[in-house]
Amino acid sequence: MNTTTPRAAVGGALALVILAAGCGRDAGEAPEQARNVTTGKATGEVTVWAMGEEGKALGAFVKDFESANPGVKVTVTAIGWDVAHDKLTAAIAGSATPDVSMIGSTWSGELAKTGALEPTPGNLVDKSRFFPGAWQTVDVNGTAYGVPWYVETRVLYYRTDQAEKAGVQPPETWEEFTAFAKALKEKGGAKNGFNQSYTLGASWQEVLPLIWQAGGEIVKDGEYTFDTPQAVAALKQYESLFRQKLAPTDTPENAFPQTFIKGEVGGFFSGPWMIGVLDNDGGPGFGDKFDVAPYPKGPVAGTSFVGGADMAVFKKAKNRDAAWKFIQWLSEPKVQAKWYTTVKALPAVQSAWQEPELTADKRLAVFGEQLKDAKTPPPFPTWEQVAKVLEAELEKLARGRQTPEQTAQAIQSQAGTIGTGL
Amino acid sequence: MSRTRRQRAVVYLGLSAGLVLVVGPFLWTALSSVKPEREIRRDPPTFWPETFTLDNFAELFQRVDIGTAFVNSLLIALVLVATNLLFCSMVGYAFAKLSFRGKNLAFGLVLVQLAIPAIVLMVPQFVLIARLGMVNTFLGIILPAVVAPIGVFMMRQFISDLPDELIDAARVDGAREFRIFFTIIMPLCGPALATLGLITFLSSWNNFLWPAVVAQSESMYTLPVALNILNGNEGTHYNLLVAGSVVVIAPILFLFVFLQRFFIQGIATTGLK
Repeated sequence: MNTTTPRAAVGGALALVILAAGCGRDAGEAPEQARNVTTGKATGEVTVWAMGEEGKALGAFVKDFESANPGVKVTVTAIGWDVAHDKLTAAIAGSATPDVSMIGSTWSGELAKTGALEPTPGNLVDKSRFFPGAWQTVDVNGTAYGVPWYVETRVLYYRTDQAEKAGVQPPETWEEFTAFAKALKEKGGAKNGFNQSYTLGASWQEVLPLIWQAGGEIVKDGEYTFDTPQAVAALKQYESLFRQKLAPTDTPENAFPQTFIKGEVGGFFSGPWMIGVLDNDGGPGFGDKFDVAPYPKGPVAGTSFVGGADMAVFKKAKNRDAAWKFIQWLSEPKVQAKWYTTVKALPAVQSAWQEPELTADKRLAVFGEQLKDAKTPPPFPTWEQVAKVLEAELEKLARGRQTPEQTAQAIQSQAGTIGTGL
Repeated sequence: MSRTRRQRAVVYLGLSAGLVLVVGPFLWTALSSVKPEREIRRDPPTFWPETFTLDNFAELFQRVDIGTAFVNSLLIALVLVATNLLFCSMVGYAFAKLSFRGKNLAFGLVLVQLAIPAIVLMVPQFVLIARLGMVNTFLGIILPAVVAPIGVFMMRQFISDLPDELIDAARVDGAREFRIFFTIIMPLCGPALATLGLITFLSSWNNFLWPAVVAQSESMYTLPVALNILNGNEGTHYNLLVAGSVVVIAPILFLFVFLQRFFIQGIATTGLK
């Protein structure tokens, strides 16, 4: 499966080249105007694509919508994550799109640029009901293409038993965080310190929040900005953990999270799915040995990364009104809360967090709090490419082959060459 | 110990090591498929299952419509084997034994296709299939692979080596080209056809991207496409994936054990002559 990924990227890029040549919009063109949808009950058939487990679960989940709207039939096709991006670009090129599709939170820019997505009708959803970071994922230069469905955000995970032994509380600032990692290693018994990703896969998600926390932006006036003093400060913070030997650079692939369960590392930053993984792999009783806390604050803020998935409607949808009504239904607080109990996907709608399903779990509240201060990378068509550049350069930084300043320069020059793609 | 016995011991030792390398991963997969998920992910890993369970298979069959996907995969593979055997050998025969205008150019185009990665053709091919109204149909999945360039090349090489005298004799006796092809050429192509059949079956059975792009409803999914649904964005269910792998590998192993004589002969055939 790994071998398909780079090929998939080539295919996607190729599709875009073809589409851009055929029907791309000019950069100077005025933003598209969204058309309203008619009110009333939804009828007819709606075809929906959704990825992975969410796709499997959604098929049964839509029954409630169907019974609330007699005469509507929602057909959900589950598609694998590995092929989802290629399948969507091919479907767009061949005009064989479904009515609705789930899309990854960084895809909206790329897909909107093909001209295949429909702008979100203004009379349908109120954007202020969503977490601002989540709404960012569908916002392409001021026009929304789709609606956030569920979100995820990164927080601090730590071993409570080790923190107690070391006599430290979850850190609230960068300085406290370094001291915290040090205490876990030297007094708490975490012999390798803190787990911080540095290889291909997720390391860019470690650094982006740090840049925001330092007050930096990765995009300004339509250009990538990775060489700002704030970005350098973030890279220094990231690198300091490795330099002070508080984070290992010799972890074998896939050794984490076992290293956390065994107590070799005392903490890490990650998303909500790790709770389930740790409860499952850690076995009985492990749930009492770890807890979550919001990101420690940097010089400016404690911003985290927000990801997740959105729902989009295609212009060629055969049943436009019902498609949008279906999406509107998915964003109702009660439905969002029920969806959480179905697949543990966190609600993108703020008021859904008041529902009893979500207030019951104390750990969840940390995620709910963190989501209020969380940002997304810009939905640029080239973002995936830039993320790869970040990962390659971060590994060099983590292994001590270049300084934070050199890393910032290297990332900026490559990102500048790649461009935003819009 | 005599010299030859020692040599033989060394050979057997080497072969045994090779066997472990080849069989090991299969055995690991098979054994993992009967372990609970927690045991699969444990560090240090266990070799022999501590807890034996068939839950992985039960969950797999419950979550994914394996039966439908299996039938789809088999059907598509068998149709493609049949079309490739017939058409590749026909085209190969024409390139090897007939003379017609533009033959070299046409054969050159076949060779060029061998050099183009399938991924480059994916989007244009999909657009074509979509315009023909074949999205989400078996025909759409099958059509682009009905005559594989590699098969044409292979059959042309094999048929070139058959003596021209056979064909000339048949022509003198008044046989037409189709008669020559079906009664003289085809019966002599046994090993090459067996290889082509196996290669076609395997590539169709393992093909992921094209069926995944063309099939738009789960009832059209092939095995690799259906199993990919289990591969979550965050975290993978290794227990379900190994169980799925066993389901995918089993027919291939079965096929290989029965046809390995042809397979080995065939690998020798595909080599340059």
